[in-house]
Amino acid sequence: MTVTPLPTPGSVRTAVPVFDIEKVLASIDTMATQRPVAAQIVSVANSDDTSAKALSRILAADVALASRVMKLANSAYFGMRGRVTSLQFAVTVVGFTTVRTMATVALTNLDDESRLPEDFWQGTTSLALAASLLAPRFGERPQDALCMGLLAQLGAALFHHNDHDGYAQLCAEHPTLVGRRYAEGRRYGIYASRLTAIALEQWGFPSTMTVPLNQIDDLSSGEGALLRAAFEVAARLTVPDYEPVPIARFTRGQLREEDLPPLLEQVRTDADDLRRAMLGE
Amino acid sequence: MSVSFSAVHDDLVPPEIISTVFYSATVSDTMAVMVAEIDGGVPRLTWCNQGAVQLLGYGLDDLRALPLDHLFPSLGSGELKLLMRRERTVRMTMPVRTASGADVESLIVSTPSPGGRMWAMRVVSTANEQERALRATADAHERRFSTLTERSPVPTLLSEQGMRLAHVNDAFCTLVGLRAEQLLGTGWLDTVHPDDLDDVIERVADALEGGDAEAKARLVLADGDVRTTIIRFAHLFTPGVGAGFVGTIEDITDRLAFEAQLAHQANHDPLTGLPNRTLLAEYVAERFRPGIAGLACLFLDLDNFKVVNDSLGHAAGDELLVEVAARLRATVRPGDLVARFGGDEFVVVCENVDETSAVSLAERVSVSLAVPLHLGGVGVRPYASVGVTVQTAEHQAADDLIRDCDIAMYQAKAGGKGRITVLDQQARAEARDKLRLVAELRDAVERREITLLYQPIFDTAERRPVAVESLARWHHAERGTISPVTFIPLAEESGLITSLGMLVLDETCRQMAEWDRLLGSAAPPRANVNVSALQLDTNLAAQVADALVRHGLDSSRVSIEITESALMKDPDSAREVLQQLRDLGVELAIDDFGTGYSSLAYLRHLPVDCLKVDRSFVAELAEGHAEIASAVIALARNLNLCTVAEGVETAEQADELTRLGASYLQGFSLAMPMTGGASAAWFAAHGEPAR
Repeated sequence: MTVTPLPTPGSVRTAVPVFDIEKVLASIDTMATQRPVAAQIVSVANSDDTSAKALSRILAADVALASRVMKLANSAYFGMRGRVTSLQFAVTVVGFTTVRTMATVALTNLDDESRLPEDFWQGTTSLALAASLLAPRFGERPQDALCMGLLAQLGAALFHHNDHDGYAQLCAEHPTLVGRRYAEGRRYGIYASRLTAIALEQWGFPSTMTVPLNQIDDLSSGEGALLRAAFEVAARLTVPDYEPVPIARFTRGQLREEDLPPLLEQVRTDADDLRRAMLGE
Repeated sequence: MSVSFSAVHDDLVPPEIISTVFYSATVSDTMAVMVAEIDGGVPRLTWCNQGAVQLLGYGLDDLRALPLDHLFPSLGSGELKLLMRRERTVRMTMPVRTASGADVESLIVSTPSPGGRMWAMRVVSTANEQERALRATADAHERRFSTLTERSPVPTLLSEQGMRLAHVNDAFCTLVGLRAEQLLGTGWLDTVHPDDLDDVIERVADALEGGDAEAKARLVLADGDVRTTIIRFAHLFTPGVGAGFVGTIEDITDRLAFEAQLAHQANHDPLTGLPNRTLLAEYVAERFRPGIAGLACLFLDLDNFKVVNDSLGHAAGDELLVEVAARLRATVRPGDLVARFGGDEFVVVCENVDETSAVSLAERVSVSLAVPLHLGGVGVRPYASVGVTVQTAEHQAADDLIRDCDIAMYQAKAGGKGRITVLDQQARAEARDKLRLVAELRDAVERREITLLYQPIFDTAERRPVAVESLARWHHAERGTISPVTFIPLAEESGLITSLGMLVLDETCRQMAEWDRLLGSAAPPRANVNVSALQLDTNLAAQVADALVRHGLDSSRVSIEITESALMKDPDSAREVLQQLRDLGVELAIDDFGTGYSSLAYLRHLPVDCLKVDRSFVAELAEGHAEIASAVIALARNLNLCTVAEGVETAEQADELTRLGASYLQGFSLAMPMTGGASAAWFAAHGEPAR
């Protein structure tokens, strides 16, 4: 049985959105025209006949994006210790979904920290690493989970971009994840991860990445459990004075508190490296 | 596939085609298509095809009356417009609620009309039977694969991306002693020995780029133990995802240990555990730098080891060798090599020492060895002769050093056992000269450059020639004639005596056959061929028989001469060989009789025909001493043996020997040794020999 503290779509309907979702999504399309290479990668990278050669050929036209892919391929996360010297091999090492994720980051200006909530990437990389490390326990591919984590806060970034002060206040007033989602629904008519899912779905990201975003509040959903747990881990590491929620509650008992210390340690160690690679620093 | 028609220009599609396509879409029951529009601010369906009616379970009119958001229960308030974007086609995966209230998971593709007022929505159920079957098959494959790897005793890694592992099986976890969670991602890299990590990454890079690769890597286990493994990487490509690898691990630690043990056995003496001759050669060769001093060798040979072996038994001999090995190891400096060269010979190799230090070490070794020990209840004081060589500019190769050391040891031994000798230049030169001579002798034998001379033997009564003795001669191109006194012992020492003996036998037989052809009945009736003690083995009779057959000679045409001392080396086996020769039909003579220590009783049982009175006893006749010659001749007569007196140099000696009763005479006064050709002429001139 589904038990969720969140409002049902019907109840949300009574809220007064200050935010036109359609307009926001349309603005992303506009951004895509400014980053044609990234847009092309987003559209071709999930095709079954994509090859590292084809993808790297497209990628080479966007020097900034290509250098980030190289940097990521040589980051500690992939363990290649500087062995990746060609773009094609870099694409092979990080995988097509990751290349596509990085292109999406570029496309949506998530690489511009000045336009993002404070400490956005600190939280996002922790979230992505936590999701990736936890994925095998939930039967998911770590790589997809990493990408999902990297893009999960796209919706929040869009709120921030379109309602800077209002979203900052909302976040300040609602430090818990559940409470914040409730407030997002009331204020914008949609909550951040749902917005992310819709955007990703439009770009043809696989359902393995969008379903968890859609089901994050369905505590009975196994697909949502991984993302909930990753959010909890990231919050514990990055939100000041965060009050932890027992992890078992988010994960239908699949994770216990005693499982977390090594995971927290590893995420803490690797997050900064991943952040630098993602931002090309 | 796209098909174009000549009638179609630009975007203008003829109405017939539009109506054809529309008709097919209308009646299609395999494709669900709906058209929606916003009517008074509320999105509604205005048209559906057969497929949509069937999928959704509503009648067409009901569908038209239905608020569109009722079909998409998962969409939040205001989210319906996300499906009805005017600028672009939208794809969304979500449940579609049917008339029965059931939700069908579907992909909705919503395409706006050019005017932006209507949307064609295609609904593709993602939960149809075919997809479910495909997914079930894929799941079954996945389960089978994971069961296979999970249960496999072969440690297996499965990468998702780059070096990152998505899966490790139980066998790998067991091997390294860690849990799967600790190994996934890049965790497994912590188990790879830091010195091997670079190579592993290189090989993974090869596999990711499409090849198969193999790395030898040490894995550091959770308990600190280190295992050596071969990791084989195979490329793994997932369409739409990218490249990974499957790695299988073979633990070769035990195999390597076994191989190391075999290598150790191949390079070490099993009795003492010391490096053997092979390893010694490698060791010296590795350290030898021509022209640079630095290496020193001590060559030790235990004195009287044979006595211990013979008197106390081989077990005691072995015990002595083990004790000597232990004392040597305890005496040399750390880093010096002690090797067992063979038998009772040991070699110590030192680096960075001068002659004084090397001699000093040799003295310490001698002192340490001389401490008495008890073997089989007997007190033994081991002494060794020690040869010392320090590397000089004259040493061109590592072997030179060991060889010089060996020479020095022989010098020490020759100087009276228990000594230490440092190799001097003259001894080195002599030894090297001898080595060169051996090589030249080998060449001479191979090229049949050893020639034969034949000295006639006469019967005493009529002084007619009855036989010849073959005498080997070596004329060296540079050194001139080399005496058999020099080259026969050299051939015996260097293992060339068998070849030389065969050469003499074969050439003699060939010459006999030639004389027969040339001289007929005037040819020498018999030839005496000398055989060395070292040829006295069970092959000799067969070799003689072969030579006779090869040249078509009767066995009575050859007599084999063997020295008395050769017979006494191993009397039993000598008698056996003589018997075989006798059975063959050849005559046998004992050469140099009287110079050895033959037991007369033993002599009586030897199957010989003749005794040759040594030339030294014949020479004594001139000094008035006929005692020994007389005794030998008398002894032969009493044993029914004939006698040949050698070295007859004067007519007086011949007369005296005749008087004493010698059967045959041989010497310069009667006839000189001659070549085969000269012999033929000599026999032709001296008429019919006595047969």
